[in-house]
Amino acid sequence: MTLLEAAQALRRRAVSSVELTEASLKRIGELNPRLNAMMTTMEESARTQAQAADRELAQGADRGPLHGVPIAVKDVFETRGVRTTCGSVIFLHHIPDRDAAVVERLAAAGAVLVGKAGMHELAYGITSNNPHFGTIRNPRDPERIPGGSSGGSGAAVASEMVFMAMGSDTGGSIRIPASFCGTVGLKPTSGRVSRYGVMPLDFSLDHMGPLTRSVRDAAVTLQAIAGFDPRDETSSQEPVGNYLPEQGCPIRELRIGVPQNFYFERLDPDVDMAVRRMLATAESLGACILPVRVPDIEAVNAVGRVILLAEASALTEKYIGNRDQFGSDVLALLDQGRLLPATDYVNAQRLRRMMQRDFAHLWSQVDCLFTPTTPMAAPKIGEKTAQLGDFVEDVRLAATRLVRGINVLGLPAISIPCGRDRLGLPVGLQIVGRPFDEALILRVAAALEDATG
Amino acid sequence: MKNWQKIAEAYDLRIPDSDIERITPSLDTLELAFRPLTKRIPDDVEPAITFRILAESGE
Repeated sequence: MTLLEAAQALRRRAVSSVELTEASLKRIGELNPRLNAMMTTMEESARTQAQAADRELAQGADRGPLHGVPIAVKDVFETRGVRTTCGSVIFLHHIPDRDAAVVERLAAAGAVLVGKAGMHELAYGITSNNPHFGTIRNPRDPERIPGGSSGGSGAAVASEMVFMAMGSDTGGSIRIPASFCGTVGLKPTSGRVSRYGVMPLDFSLDHMGPLTRSVRDAAVTLQAIAGFDPRDETSSQEPVGNYLPEQGCPIRELRIGVPQNFYFERLDPDVDMAVRRMLATAESLGACILPVRVPDIEAVNAVGRVILLAEASALTEKYIGNRDQFGSDVLALLDQGRLLPATDYVNAQRLRRMMQRDFAHLWSQVDCLFTPTTPMAAPKIGEKTAQLGDFVEDVRLAATRLVRGINVLGLPAISIPCGRDRLGLPVGLQIVGRPFDEALILRVAAALEDATG
Repeated sequence: MKNWQKIAEAYDLRIPDSDIERITPSLDTLELAFRPLTKRIPDDVEPAITFRILAESGE
């Protein structure tokens, strides 16, 4: 059942919010000991919220599609009175006295918050193999990683513990778990969703967005959480659009760009094939498929790495004296950031501006871009390298290679399932759009979802 | 390539030698990719992060 199907069932009185919430808590109880997707479960407050939602809906006070629906947020979103760890022992006892803006907006939309999803330590990695809180497992194959850093969110949605889980994305952390777990993952444009109350990994690359089981579920969630927030300096005053694609939404004559450089290099052949099948589907729906050359994404990725390394190390500088508090992979990244000169950071931010200008030219040729989300399906837990055709590549670098640059450029992007590899593991398609054109990428994604079931 | 160990010592970062060794290949790779890019930045390009002062913050 999707979020919107649950919303419809609630309004038909076929089910109550209390029943949906109890089912969600039961499923978490059954599956979480194996998957470790949820960090904290909030039974009591969830039941109270569900009872309130049932009362309000019975009185005709309908707050929209999220009203009464059980959801989760990554443990990076602050929740008043509820521990928020950011996946780190540094924040083991951190109990915030405020809600993140996203949590406030979801509450205003009537969503029932059943818990906090687990994550990679400090949101700084893609395995969600957390040395402090345990390994999060992929529901599609528990011997494999769910991706990260929003691995708990991906696993919770894919295993149907909740209808939607919020994630954060600094270099692919929503889209990678979406790809590996076979869910939808939406990273909005920079500034579209407030970062207020989200424990930061980085100042200028962090984005907040939902993981869901359908494209329209992601659309209605974005509708609830998007908008200006004066408490976030980077928040945009750009008007919020209407994000929900109508049934049978057309994509005829839409111009879909297919990069001829970078994005289709060094892929698992099954991923390449699955994405090209989706391109054929889009063409059969009347879209124009146009080959394009994109600016140097290797360079964009290098700039992104410098920015992330420097900003994440600056943020954690005050904790680094106690090196035992960090997992070895995170510590290695933090050490790298501390060794970069300040001039590199400033120049990376200057290059970023140049790259944004270069990339903007592309939008006169096409309306969106299709790329694979990750060059391979979910690796096994502990696997360090991935075999990509004739190439062997570090798992972390491979998983972030096709998504990191989009954070540097600040563009909206969505990952949707687009088939399976030879082992039956999900493969993700990434659709990238113009700044603040979330409505268009959601429409294209919904049309493909409708066409492929 | 840069001597990361000496840089760490100069900054008094107190990173153990074994940890420096572990991250050296990543830093070297990044250095190779990033350094040439810095040479093509025109002088008038400002960083993507800008400081904004709001009128109401004046005393």
